Amino acid sequence: MIVYLKSGGALRERLRPDVDHYTRRLEVDGTPSLKEILDGLEIPLVFVAFAFVNGKFEHLDYRPADGETVTLQPPVAGG
Amino acid sequence: MDGFGGTILRINLESGEIKRTPTPEDLARGWMGARGFVAKTLYDEVPRDADPLGPENLLIMAPGVMTGAFAPCGSKIGFGCISPATNGHADSNMGGMLGAEVKYAGYDMVVFERVSPEPVYLYIDDDTVELRPAGDYWGMGSLDLEKKMKEDLGEDFQIATIGPAGENGVVFSCITHDFGRQAGRCGVGAVMGSKRLKAIAVRGTKSLPVHDLPAMTKATYDIIQRTKSHPLMEPWQKYGTALFVGWANEHGCFPTKNFQTTYHEHWESISGEKLAEEVLVTHKACFGCWMNCGKYSVAKIPGKPDTYVEGPEYETIALCGGSCGMKDIHHVAYANWLCDNLGLDTMSSGNTIGFAMECFEKGIITKDDLEGHELKWGDIDDFENVVRMIADRRGIGETLSYGTKGAAERLGQNTIAFASQAKGMEFSGYDTRWYWAQLLSYCTSDIGAHHNRSWAITADVQIGQDTPKGKAPVVIYLQHIRPLFDTWCCCRLFWGELDVTPEEHVDTIRQLTGWDVTLEECMQVSEKIWNITRAHYLERNGGPGRQFDVAPARHLDEKIPSGPAEGHAVGRENFEYMLDDYYYNRGWDKQGHPTREVLEILGIPYVADNLEKIGLLGKPFEDGVPKVRGEKLKPKAM
Repeated sequence: MIVYLKSGGALRERLRPDVDHYTRRLEVDGTPSLKEILDGLEIPLVFVAFAFVNGKFEHLDYRPADGETVTLQPPVAGG
Repeated sequence: MDGFGGTILRINLESGEIKRTPTPEDLARGWMGARGFVAKTLYDEVPRDADPLGPENLLIMAPGVMTGAFAPCGSKIGFGCISPATNGHADSNMGGMLGAEVKYAGYDMVVFERVSPEPVYLYIDDDTVELRPAGDYWGMGSLDLEKKMKEDLGEDFQIATIGPAGENGVVFSCITHDFGRQAGRCGVGAVMGSKRLKAIAVRGTKSLPVHDLPAMTKATYDIIQRTKSHPLMEPWQKYGTALFVGWANEHGCFPTKNFQTTYHEHWESISGEKLAEEVLVTHKACFGCWMNCGKYSVAKIPGKPDTYVEGPEYETIALCGGSCGMKDIHHVAYANWLCDNLGLDTMSSGNTIGFAMECFEKGIITKDDLEGHELKWGDIDDFENVVRMIADRRGIGETLSYGTKGAAERLGQNTIAFASQAKGMEFSGYDTRWYWAQLLSYCTSDIGAHHNRSWAITADVQIGQDTPKGKAPVVIYLQHIRPLFDTWCCCRLFWGELDVTPEEHVDTIRQLTGWDVTLEECMQVSEKIWNITRAHYLERNGGPGRQFDVAPARHLDEKIPSGPAEGHAVGRENFEYMLDDYYYNRGWDKQGHPTREVLEILGIPYVADNLEKIGLLGKPFEDGVPKVRGEKLKPKAM
């Protein structure tokens, strides 16, 4: 199935976007979790704070559906 | 002068005299405002033996070069003084609307001198500048007073206030504005209180001269369009910084029960999602910002009044929440409101009260010290009792009003071992035992431990967590780039989050001022500020400098007992390695003293002369100082 991952900042560089400036198109087997997808991309989990799907927060054990777009939020200090 | 208000105000609170001088162009270009103006002015003018809470200290309020420009989020304004917490240079900044208002009134820096005989507030309405009586306001809470002054003066005045804690000299008192934006760190509120200055009210209606308005407007419009559709904009707008609570727990850096461990079993009950579900009222933005990352919340707790507060942000959740063992987001929001209205920094307050809770657990502080109350982990009533005692400096509150280091010195019994602070200022909301570069960041910071000087957690992972090698250069890079935003006075979140590059900010400064400035020049200004604040610290506190860059025993020796980072600690040998490497890469000698060569490269040879006179000038490097400082230290993929 196809999953679209989006991000920004240092995480965008690690994602290596190929659709537009922020988006990477991935073809994956089965219904892997985001953790498994990130492992496959060799992106350490510490560089991803959480996922955002359809305007909603999701943990990294979330399993995206075919064609879904997932925004990955890198950790940033603030406050 | 394009990009600046054009005038520096000096206000002698003792005599009431108000002086205006034109902002010198060499000061503007050489120090760029805010943190830079503060560093230079404090270094040049404050006697080295001045008591931080005495009349010879200065309180400085200064916007930066980008404040008030409709450039990406130029909302910030800096406050500075000698810190009563660290006895060194202090600067702390806030967002909101005040900075732009000061700039539109025509002012680039306001310097408060001496002590007023009676409580006063500063009233600025463009060219009208007056000290007005504030006796009726004295004793009021920060938030309560802002509301009252808006009623008295009008909504279009921007107000900064202190609370009772600042009046009473608590060393981690803050200055509050816009109902929840703070110059929170370093005790700037205590210095304002020591001068009997209760508030600042400003209305500015002038324009800001811009060198190339069409170019700046177009560039800003392009950045707005680009960032509005950035994929990370929506999560930020929805949750703000609080969403990192989960991440910090999952990666073993969330301060829990006074940094005893780094994973809070109940983190989900104080997380960003919980905040959005249970306490969030609306989103809130600073001047010129289209992100709205501020969260305005209501705490509803049976038996207590509903309280409205901006926050809690990540740092408040980590320190008032995690470090105090709280399990309810309403309790964290209420603690946030208590600190804000009393005029206390939520970060140092949470850290200090967590420290006191551990003292209570160990029997070092007892009910007798707490006017019959307990001080149990996660108990909001106990928190409220002790935070009010701190603000009033009553009973054990007097001891705790000095922060963790000062309290540990007074309590003895080796409590200093579990005081998570550097140079007298409390750690931010990140444990360091699995993130060694962050410990180096805290301990070498010029103002004491603060993540906004250098946040090195992900860089640490990138380099390799369990090694001291390669950490110092990245910390130095971060110590130049992150505080640069506090000098320019634009929000750094657009850089970190939404891919607005530092080079784009420099373009804005060029369009704004007409300067042919480069990022390299800005980084050198930041390095110059870092060196002058270091020299200032040494000139006030003596040497060798290395004795001040020390880490708490807990973070060096105690292995994390639970959670994802279980078993990790930095170790003394590793820390000393990082410190040696840090000094070398800064061009400082092994005692942490700046060398003449570096100070001359940075254009401040008079600082070298001053250090030489007191025997604290760094010994010269045999082969010259490293030539890789500043921007060139930037690691790949950052």
